[in-house]
Amino acid sequence: MQIRVRCGCGESSCPEWAVVELQGVVQPQPSFAGDIRGLHIGRLCAAPSPSSSSSSKAGYTFTVGYHELAGTKVTLKKPLLVLRKKKVGGGDQEPSTTAAADVELEVIGIIRHKILFKDRPKALISKPPVKEKKTLQSAAA
Amino acid sequence: MDAEMKDADTQAEIEGDGDGGGADAVLGLTGGGASVSLCYHQAYGPHDDILLLEVADDLLPDLLQGRVIVRGCPDEEAVLCTPSATYAMKFVGTSNSMFMIPPGEPSAPSLRPDITNGDVVAAAIKLAPGSIELIQTAPRLDKLRNLLRERPYVLDEDLGDGFQHKKGLYTWQDLCELVQASDSEMSDGLKSLSAVEIDGFWRTVDANSLNTILDMILHNSVLHDWPLNALPENDVFSVMESDGFMRKIVRHCLNIFGTKVDLEDRSFWSLDERCVCLQFARRALGAGRMKLGNFMDKWERSIPSGMRADIQMLEGEVLCEKLGAEIWLHAFSVADLPLTPTERFAALFRERPKWEWKDLQPYIRDLRIPGVSSEGLLIKYTRRTQPSANAEPIFTAR
Repeated sequence: MQIRVRCGCGESSCPEWAVVELQGVVQPQPSFAGDIRGLHIGRLCAAPSPSSSSSSKAGYTFTVGYHELAGTKVTLKKPLLVLRKKKVGGGDQEPSTTAAADVELEVIGIIRHKILFKDRPKALISKPPVKEKKTLQSAAA
Repeated sequence: MDAEMKDADTQAEIEGDGDGGGADAVLGLTGGGASVSLCYHQAYGPHDDILLLEVADDLLPDLLQGRVIVRGCPDEEAVLCTPSATYAMKFVGTSNSMFMIPPGEPSAPSLRPDITNGDVVAAAIKLAPGSIELIQTAPRLDKLRNLLRERPYVLDEDLGDGFQHKKGLYTWQDLCELVQASDSEMSDGLKSLSAVEIDGFWRTVDANSLNTILDMILHNSVLHDWPLNALPENDVFSVMESDGFMRKIVRHCLNIFGTKVDLEDRSFWSLDERCVCLQFARRALGAGRMKLGNFMDKWERSIPSGMRADIQMLEGEVLCEKLGAEIWLHAFSVADLPLTPTERFAALFRERPKWEWKDLQPYIRDLRIPGVSSEGLLIKYTRRTQPSANAEPIFTAR
């Protein structure tokens, strides 16, 4: 069988996706375990002054709860294409073959860069994270 | 039903206006303490229909212009074919968390990132479990050969049952569905198998039928005084057609045994001495074993006059063995051996446990594996021994 790879966007206008990559997993608090859609994960921040970082790469921090990660923006040696499996067509005469034959892959995006956090997180214990709403409330109380 | 509806939902949510993921905000984030709030998308989920494919820059144009197709039967590992090359698709998993953030404006209220206090939001649609890597690979032409051998073309078959029973007959489209090779590798494969398209089906021609046609051409060359290096195409076709041979098959036969030469508006065919003599050698030898002397007599008597038989022509087709004072020959054709290196070397070492280089070389020179030299193949599949510095190296199985 054959699965055609299509691209509706063309070479010049393939929409670019972003990737934030970190080691391990982000564990939502058990109270959200059922439904995490829309939930805030963390704050991604460009380092205030890129020149102060040791390398010439742009630095980033990613704050998740009481953890802070330091990372860099990496240009992928080989870009990643985002493909979507898609059922196509409809009115086919041979129902037995439709299931397999009528799938195609569509290129829906391209990833050329990712923001990579490859180090272990640093615990933020000395200063309270001001952005957390709960913390603000408790401080006000 | 449920799954389909979910697919449709995903599509709307990823592409719909005002409900993207804000990839631009993440990618455009630079300096000055600017920040983005990363959250799970309203449509966050496993989204198993979304895959990542790692593509080198030189392959991107083929993919982005829709010149790529995935081929493979359910029991085979899928390959990706560009117009000219075949790539194995290997899924490489990651234990990292890869948040995938689609483009487009996210639905949450957003402000431009240069307004520092604005809460710019980016939304991850899924965690990628890994990506698919592409590794160039040799086309799977063994299968093509097996398919074409199911039902070789035999002379006069079209007078009989016709093509009512299509079992064992394959169109180009059928082959594309069944064989894991790019279009150009498939074409080359068909050429090297000496296949011909007859009534829409790709066929090899049965050896006896090929012999009959070649004999007929040679016979007519004597009758009509055609030189073997300049058979006049139009005359050959009309004479052969009057003898009942399809023009297409005659041309195919000429293609196998010769080359076309155009000279002042007329086309001629020059028969290749090696190809023709080899065909007669196969016939003279048959399936059994023969003493060298007997074989040479029989062979030299059978070939067309004006051609000269030379034992060198039989490289890769015939093996010689010394038994006592006699040299015996038997047919062992490279064309019948497997096309993948592991199986090719296994078949060779089943035939003979030890090979000298001059005997081995004709049986492996056609192996071409992307990224592996023939040196590399020898190192991987054979053990080389050389009793003394001047002696011929001997290759044995690893």
